[in-house]
Amino acid sequence: MAMAVSVLFFTACEKQLRINDEGNLVAKTVDQDISLPSISVNNAKFHAEAFGPIDSPMIVVLHGGPGADYRYLLRSKAFATQGYRVVFYDQRGAGLSQRFPKSIYTMQLAYNDLRAVISHYRTSPTQKVFLLGHSWGAMLAAAYMNTLPNFPSQTQIQGAVLCEPGGLIWKDVEDYIKRSRKFKYFSETFSDAVYADQFITGKQDQHAILDYKFNLLTSAESSVIGNEGRLPSWRSGAVTFDAYLEIGDREKPNWTRNLEHFTTKILFIYSANNKAYGLSHAQKVSSVFPNKQLFKTENAGHDMLSFDAGWNNTYPTMLAYFNSLR
Amino acid sequence: MKKNKSVFLIAVVFLFSITAVHAQTLNWGSLQKEQKHVVNMYAGFDYAVVCGIGYSYHLKSKLPMLLNVDFSEPAGENGFDDLKTKIGAKAEVFNYKNIKLIASAHGIYRRYQNPLVRLQNFGSEFAVATGYYKPRWFAAAEVGFDKAIVSHFKHSSIYKTDYPAEKDGWYEPATGGNFSYGVQGGFSFKRSDITLKAGKVLAEDFKSKPTLPFYLQLGYNVRFR
Repeated sequence: MAMAVSVLFFTACEKQLRINDEGNLVAKTVDQDISLPSISVNNAKFHAEAFGPIDSPMIVVLHGGPGADYRYLLRSKAFATQGYRVVFYDQRGAGLSQRFPKSIYTMQLAYNDLRAVISHYRTSPTQKVFLLGHSWGAMLAAAYMNTLPNFPSQTQIQGAVLCEPGGLIWKDVEDYIKRSRKFKYFSETFSDAVYADQFITGKQDQHAILDYKFNLLTSAESSVIGNEGRLPSWRSGAVTFDAYLEIGDREKPNWTRNLEHFTTKILFIYSANNKAYGLSHAQKVSSVFPNKQLFKTENAGHDMLSFDAGWNNTYPTMLAYFNSLR
Repeated sequence: MKKNKSVFLIAVVFLFSITAVHAQTLNWGSLQKEQKHVVNMYAGFDYAVVCGIGYSYHLKSKLPMLLNVDFSEPAGENGFDDLKTKIGAKAEVFNYKNIKLIASAHGIYRRYQNPLVRLQNFGSEFAVATGYYKPRWFAAAEVGFDKAIVSHFKHSSIYKTDYPAEKDGWYEPATGGNFSYGVQGGFSFKRSDITLKAGKVLAEDFKSKPTLPFYLQLGYNVRFR
């Protein structure tokens, strides 16, 4: 009784907020806030922006996660000042893009979304398209390229920069996840990641709650990956993260079967400070590409494209790569 | 401070070898009427690696009943940023030839803090256990429900940098709820019990699971007159 009275006393003094209302704890998505930049393709609304001359060679930036957003990759806007059309989009169910039930997610849907984004921004069939993928985004880029022999030539990719994809065969992805998400049970980081579960639970269609909770979970990053700091973000996509992990566990994908045919040079980047990655994993994952340049970015970890040290070390090599193919 | 806390936690785990989840686990078959005070200590997995301590007062009533308070804290370098306190009661509501039904109800206050947010929650926990209780040992099954009724969110400047429009304050409806089910058992000697329980945790929609979807607890009780 005393507890109940105390609760009523405290809560009566302030107007109570509703936990699943969009905008209270997490940002609204583009279908909820029309002031946000967006495109509508493939039956979905995506948070998207593009910079640079519209007819120039296009660089499509693919963020990590799955379920993250492109905010931490906005330094790549710099390519626009070098004469590239740089396209950013939050993948379906991630960032500020529209949310969907878990059941709709498939890898083919992700490929179709990417193809639709490219088609939306492409101004001519001869406009070159490059992919710049980070982490999960690099996996998505390679998986998309793996499907390309089946597509019409207009959807071909003229080059790709892949920054520490976890793996292109599911076993490699699982191994990398185990190494990169190591927590000590007695650590504050581990407690920060799991203790909140008793405070917040959400049903599978309560995206605002699930995304907020997922943000708390993923904010506790392992130091193994060598990040310089906390990556800026707008909103995490909890359901899309779960969906793609389940797809991986269920289908055990191998996204390499056709990559031997991709004879254009790939720039494959790994970082000095990511102890879970390293040269051996980089060599293993990139081995499927017949023509590649392996580049190690110094003084940076997995967040190599987001902070000064990593960006300043990586950008010149990426620019030189794109310039060699434009 | 950091090292002392880790040493303390390790000592609790190994000296008392416990895990106590959710609430004090007691051998009601060995609890005697004249034993008025029960102190328990525990450690294990309960939404994190936790250790805790509790005190119960054995009421003079026809129905065997304990009033109890409990405090637990998860492991970590930051002391007392995360914690859980409980106050409530447990009662033996049914007894037939050593088969007993135990019911408990607790009010909860808990706190959580990470670099993004501080959460404070008032909630409740209800549980029932039924099993076979003998003076020297017991074995039972249990189910429980833990509800986070209303929570206060206070975000840090780090979170506000990412999302300036966030709203601090009290949030409702209930912000969280989890079911748990499992087994418990133990041995008793003189005035002490060593108890063990383990089980699974499921969110209230019966589909989602917390990150640690299980609990495992080892506990030690000592009873006083």
